[in-house]
Amino acid sequence: MATETALGASVGTTRETSGFRHWSALRNAAILLVAWEVLGRFKLVAGGALPAPTEVLIRFWSDRGDYPAHILATFQGASLGFLIGNGLAILAGILFAVSPVAARLGRGLNVAIFALPPIAISPILVLTFSGMTPRVVLAALGCYFVTMSATVTGISQTDRRMLDVVRAYGGGRLALLRLVEIRAALPAILAGLRVAAPAAVLGSILAEFGGGGRFGLGAYLIGSLGRADPARLWGIGLAATAMALIAYGIFALIEARLTRSTRAVTVAATPPGIRSEGSWLSTIAITLASITLPFLVWWLLLKVLGTPAMIAKTPAGVFDYLFLAPSATSAQTRLLAALGQTLPMTLIGMAAGLAFAFLLALASVVRPGIVRSFMPVALVTQTMPLVALTPLLVLLLGRGPSVILWITISVTFFPAFVTLAQGLGMVSRGALDVVRAYGASPFTQLRLVSIPASLPYLFAAMRLAVPRALLGVMIAEWLATGTGLGNLLNQSRGYLDYGMIWTVAVVSVLISVLFYQIVIVIERHVLRKRGMQPAV
Amino acid sequence: MTSTTGITLETVSRSFQGRGTVVQALDNVSLNCPAGSFTALIGPSGCGKSTMLRLALGLDDATSGDIGIAGMKPQQAAKAGLTGVAFQDAALMPWRSVEDNIALPLDVLGRKRADFSAKIAELIELVGLKGFEKALPGELSGGMRQRVAIARALVTDPKVLFLDEPFGALDQILRRQMNLELQRIWMESRATTLLVTHGIDEAVFLADRVVVMQSRPGRIGKIVDIPLARPRLPEVFTTPEFHALEDQVAEALDGH
Ligand SMILES: Nc1ncnc2c1ncn2[C@@H]1O[C@H](COP(=O)(O)OP(=O)(O)OP(=O)(O)O)[C@@H](O)[C@H]1O
Ligand SMILES: [Mg+2]
Repeated sequence: MATETALGASVGTTRETSGFRHWSALRNAAILLVAWEVLGRFKLVAGGALPAPTEVLIRFWSDRGDYPAHILATFQGASLGFLIGNGLAILAGILFAVSPVAARLGRGLNVAIFALPPIAISPILVLTFSGMTPRVVLAALGCYFVTMSATVTGISQTDRRMLDVVRAYGGGRLALLRLVEIRAALPAILAGLRVAAPAAVLGSILAEFGGGGRFGLGAYLIGSLGRADPARLWGIGLAATAMALIAYGIFALIEARLTRSTRAVTVAATPPGIRSEGSWLSTIAITLASITLPFLVWWLLLKVLGTPAMIAKTPAGVFDYLFLAPSATSAQTRLLAALGQTLPMTLIGMAAGLAFAFLLALASVVRPGIVRSFMPVALVTQTMPLVALTPLLVLLLGRGPSVILWITISVTFFPAFVTLAQGLGMVSRGALDVVRAYGASPFTQLRLVSIPASLPYLFAAMRLAVPRALLGVMIAEWLATGTGLGNLLNQSRGYLDYGMIWTVAVVSVLISVLFYQIVIVIERHVLRKRGMQPAV
Repeated sequence: MTSTTGITLETVSRSFQGRGTVVQALDNVSLNCPAGSFTALIGPSGCGKSTMLRLALGLDDATSGDIGIAGMKPQQAAKAGLTGVAFQDAALMPWRSVEDNIALPLDVLGRKRADFSAKIAELIELVGLKGFEKALPGELSGGMRQRVAIARALVTDPKVLFLDEPFGALDQILRRQMNLELQRIWMESRATTLLVTHGIDEAVFLADRVVVMQSRPGRIGKIVDIPLARPRLPEVFTTPEFHALEDQVAEALDGH
């Protein structure tokens, strides 16, 4: 009886709030726009660094002749990279899903691709290739991991009973893939493509930051940076955002059409192939091979491309530059100094971003209203090329260290919040009801249920945040503060110091992978002790 | 030809490594189903019935012992298209229409769908799904889905037919109807049939022999022969002989 009335009441309130939510979201957006307009019109923020929306629109209109060429160039790079990256990702995903050994061998490569800050290799790409290639490569790299892991998850979660039917008629590996697994993985693959689409746009823009090519929104942004024209910068930033959102929206539509299901915007951050089976000897052999593979691929790529050794450094070349060459000590000093600036910022920014996300996600358990009004913003921000908006933040915040922190916090906060809030929303319903039935206060609920239950998602958020934080810091250093690894990279680019360009790229990837591995080790240890499974 | 399509299990064992424990799902099971016979398998939940079926289908490997389907290894028999199967849960593919789901074995075996379109239509009619040819499994009820699975099991004209509780989700009336249909199909095709069921009446009505299993470890307790004449009509359910046989099976289930 009591439960029945409670249920009826809660159904009633959700219906009311959903109507209310639409209305309040519109109202909030309107208030925001008006406030923005007022702030802009009266130059209340940072001496006019925040132009009013109408000013941005007017500027956009007078620049309208410039945009088509830039948008087209970015679109070309992004879409070609999208095709290539996702094509490879789906093939690789199928391979990893079918062969556990391949998955374990490919792990090193997958982690490296996941963790690599695109900005770090963009100068290398610009130096080694010409034309659109750097954009295509970075866009493809941006897509690869998301779609690859979506494919693996989709295939390995195929209903076993459907596989049994095909096997019962003697169907082999190929028949299983063709008739069941690929089709069953389709929703997951489409969800991967949806998340990959804005990533491709971001990849192309980041490559444009690195130079090479006159056209593209990234090139336009960099070119306009010196002109102290906030309205134009905002226009470009909004155009880039719109492009990413449209790319996302198109795939969301296709997905909804084809599978009638849209999934959450959480991005997978675990490479396949962690589980180890077989003897410890073969485990060690495979692990070593998986660590060696990225270096082998790096070396092979350079050999195949035939880039001159002066420009293209092999692993041995980088080692030589950093430890054996006459200039090695000077290189080491500069590198260590840069690391001394970049690492603390990365850690502080990441910790702050995660902490905010964690607190807000927990608060949303106590007061679901918070998450409801905030989630749409967080979801939109997830697909925005946030780091591409750095110039705007520079305008707002100046070129001090604070801009690094804000950028890092903003690129880690949103994905972490989305992961945590969605994770908490999934696990806690039943468990919360149990403690509520005993009259637990909101804080007791947090202590007994929400915080322990959120651990796997906190780790998932951390894995996601590591590479993003480093990317954010390096971009801010490159474009704004002129410090740290980002600046070292930019300077070396100017001096054509190839050894240093390669060194910074390699070191930043290694750091990112190292942090990522540390998170994984702690995660496995902590979760195993509590009998929990990692969240994807 | 009929002499070569039997099912033989010789001292078959299958154990599963659990967390710290070992579950003996099948312990030294020997069973011989002659070609063209109808055998019902009955026993408490978890006694290894589905495991036995999976072994006979080549979906799983026995820890020890030998299994022969029509004189071949299970996987060979499957590849040769001799077997048909309907699983405990329908296991339909949600993206395939009723027709396409029924045609799935043809796709796996690489047979031409066009040659079977009449057969598929006939099967759809048989399981009472006319008008639902293009429907997706998501649009069907649980019982309708199970009927699709039965039609799928029959599409290849199997010589050896495995049915794992195919009528579990059907109501009593439909179940009786399907029992009669299954008897008719079996008498026409004379496929060697192994039916797993929880219904004593169903087992006695359909089978030549009812194999009663016991659990922990999974083993064969008793085999009850059913000497009732064929074709068996619905009236047979109410005869004293039928009840006596049912009692025998029920006693064997209790462990007597
Ligand atoms: N893949 C597996 N891993 C571990 N144990 C298993 C596995 N498959 C089956 N078992 C165990 O083997 C035993 C027999 O299972 P099986 O599915 O054959 O039972 P069943 O007789 O079909 O039961 P039901 O009537 O409920 O379908 C059970 O104790 C089950 O726990
Ligand atoms: Mg079973």
